[in-house]
Amino acid sequence: MTTSLNQHLWLGLSRVLRSHWLHPLNDADAWERLRVWMNPMWSRRDYPARVLDIIDETPDTRSFVLKPTARWPGHRAGQHVVVQVEINGRRVHRSFSLSSAPTPDRRLRITVKRQPGARVSGWLHEHVRIGDVLRLSAPTGRFAPAEGAAPLLLLSAGSGITPLMAVVEELHRRGDPRAIVFVHCCRTPTDFIFADRLRVLAAEWPNFELRVHYSASAGRFDVRQLSVLLHCQTLVCGPRALTQNVETLFLAAGVKDQVRSESYSGRVLPQGDATQESFGVHCSDTEQVFTARGDTSLLEAAEAAGLKPAHGCRIGICKTCQCTKRSGTALNLRTGEISSEPNELIQLCISVARSPLELAL
Amino acid sequence: MNDQKLSQYPALPPGSTMLKTKLTPQQLDQFQAELDALRSEVAADLGERDATHIRSVVREVRLNAVVGRGLLMFGFDPISFIVGVCALARAKILENMEVGHNVLHGQYDWMGDPTLNSQKYEWDIVCDSGHWRRTHNFEHHSYTNILGQDDDYGYGLLRMTGDQKWTWRTLLQPIWYALLAIGFQWGVAIQDLKLGRWFKGRMPKGELAERAAPFLKKARSQLYKDYVLFPLLAFWNFPRVLLGNALANLIRNLWTNAIIFCGHFTADAQVFTKAEVAGETRGGWYLRQIQGSSNLEGGRWFHLLTGHLSHQIEHHLFPDIPAPRYAEMAPRVRDICARYGIHYNSAGFWRQYGTVLWRILKYALPVERRPRLVDA
Ligand code: FES
Repeated sequence: MTTSLNQHLWLGLSRVLRSHWLHPLNDADAWERLRVWMNPMWSRRDYPARVLDIIDETPDTRSFVLKPTARWPGHRAGQHVVVQVEINGRRVHRSFSLSSAPTPDRRLRITVKRQPGARVSGWLHEHVRIGDVLRLSAPTGRFAPAEGAAPLLLLSAGSGITPLMAVVEELHRRGDPRAIVFVHCCRTPTDFIFADRLRVLAAEWPNFELRVHYSASAGRFDVRQLSVLLHCQTLVCGPRALTQNVETLFLAAGVKDQVRSESYSGRVLPQGDATQESFGVHCSDTEQVFTARGDTSLLEAAEAAGLKPAHGCRIGICKTCQCTKRSGTALNLRTGEISSEPNELIQLCISVARSPLELAL
Repeated sequence: MNDQKLSQYPALPPGSTMLKTKLTPQQLDQFQAELDALRSEVAADLGERDATHIRSVVREVRLNAVVGRGLLMFGFDPISFIVGVCALARAKILENMEVGHNVLHGQYDWMGDPTLNSQKYEWDIVCDSGHWRRTHNFEHHSYTNILGQDDDYGYGLLRMTGDQKWTWRTLLQPIWYALLAIGFQWGVAIQDLKLGRWFKGRMPKGELAERAAPFLKKARSQLYKDYVLFPLLAFWNFPRVLLGNALANLIRNLWTNAIIFCGHFTADAQVFTKAEVAGETRGGWYLRQIQGSSNLEGGRWFHLLTGHLSHQIEHHLFPDIPAPRYAEMAPRVRDICARYGIHYNSAGFWRQYGTVLWRILKYALPVERRPRLVDA
């Protein structure tokens, strides 16, 4: 009774405090900025996390051990977070798998491979020091092994090992009785992320078997040669080519529900100087689709297809037509800039498609 | 500008309002390419520095507002009243000019900060952001100084050139102007209602109500904030807060009005007809922006308080480049103009504002348009 009364009072109070009648005293943006300015860990937007340790896993891969604040909602092994960093004044978001299972001390780990040309991973490597604060989103994703008694196959390539490391840690912590085969593929022994940890586990945990395929010496990895493949509950994480391959095999064998996969797609690069070509444009907010030729502005193409995007000047000045490009490559005809990163703003009236696009329209 | 500097540029016949350089299509293309290149160069350089600038201005706005409102609420003496009013006026001016106007142009969209995003920002003025994006970003910036298309040209109230119609009401325009300046935020707030069309009965029924809804909502919240909430919070001090807030709003109105009128109504700022701009290329658009705008000269603090609209020419050429960059771009724009023989209209505040006031007085009388004096 008292708790519910308290709750009611509390709810009522917080509603009053958020009421627009008190604006601008309760301007949430202003208070947030003040808190962050005083101490970035006091942010109440997203989830700030302090970097406790930085571990070099391989010459090009680093783990960041993070301690979030008490607000952190907790995660499950296999989930990922979106990390927000500010690079030269620009906020950039990139998702990374959490490479550690949930622990009682609530520490997190993300493991970042430095890719040539990738802004965020390079920046994390170069600029983040112990004691810095990173901003994370809430954890999302449901990449985890199914329950049951069937043996498990964990299959990863390159940095695809990161969510699977969390899964392995979790299975080990729970003392999962299933037989587990972990197959990892990377170029050379020095590229093997988490090598030591996995070898120790393999040595002390009887139902855990580790197999590593070094493509530099043993050649291209071919999933079809994995005899256990179709007989296990499978989790696969790696480049899209690999996960697609595995999925097709399971599909063909009629056991599609035994595989779960996660892949990282590279950037969609412009496809030549394709002015004559047409590309599909997917408006993900309204679920509409239209085609745009490489030489007509996206605004015109959308209108020709009967859509009515907001617009004003039609010559690139007023930004009324601006919208978020979720994925794909677009060329700004006025400035010649190419936008190929996900979630960049583009002006429809002066942009043309250079690949299939997804727009927040 | 001193006289020596002026002499570098073609002299204007006294009182002239017509100085339009015409460029050949080839020249125009070249001219466009040079300005495009300048824009790309600066756009590629945007980064940390610009982000730090706008954030520090936002902090300054908040600090000034807190100090100003605090002094008005808790002070008793006239000195804290004056300081409080000034601080609050400064907060409003900076917020409207350097933050609001510029953020709404999308100058900081590249930062990816939702609190500084052109489509989401709402500013501390009775004009609704959505209205502003339409009347200002789109209409005024696309159709700059085109009679009949740019409603900012005289705000449907003032006759600023002989090409506009004269009626008996125009005789009183100095009074209209004074009223507009005093209530300037209301003037811009109702611009998108298109009351002129409504008065003439040219607006379909229901459209006015639809247009007015966002304005009424915004006006209510602004009035409530300055004339109900903060005065009430001051208890017995409420008359002082009420008066202080009104004065701060008034100072902001007068200042923004003066700066904005200097942007397009100085003696040498040109007007254009629809026929003149038919088939205009981007080069032509650039040219019109330069010839229809005028700059103000002053120190760093002055530029900041004008939201860098003192660099009106650069702002009209590159409305989505962060405004503090205009100062760096100005000498180069000026140089390009000089090479193409285009008049670059720039002078100190009083000199420019003087010519604006003069135009208001002059065109109150039924003077007709002058013949073109320079038509190269
Ligand atoms: S419609 Fe004005 S910028 Fe695209």
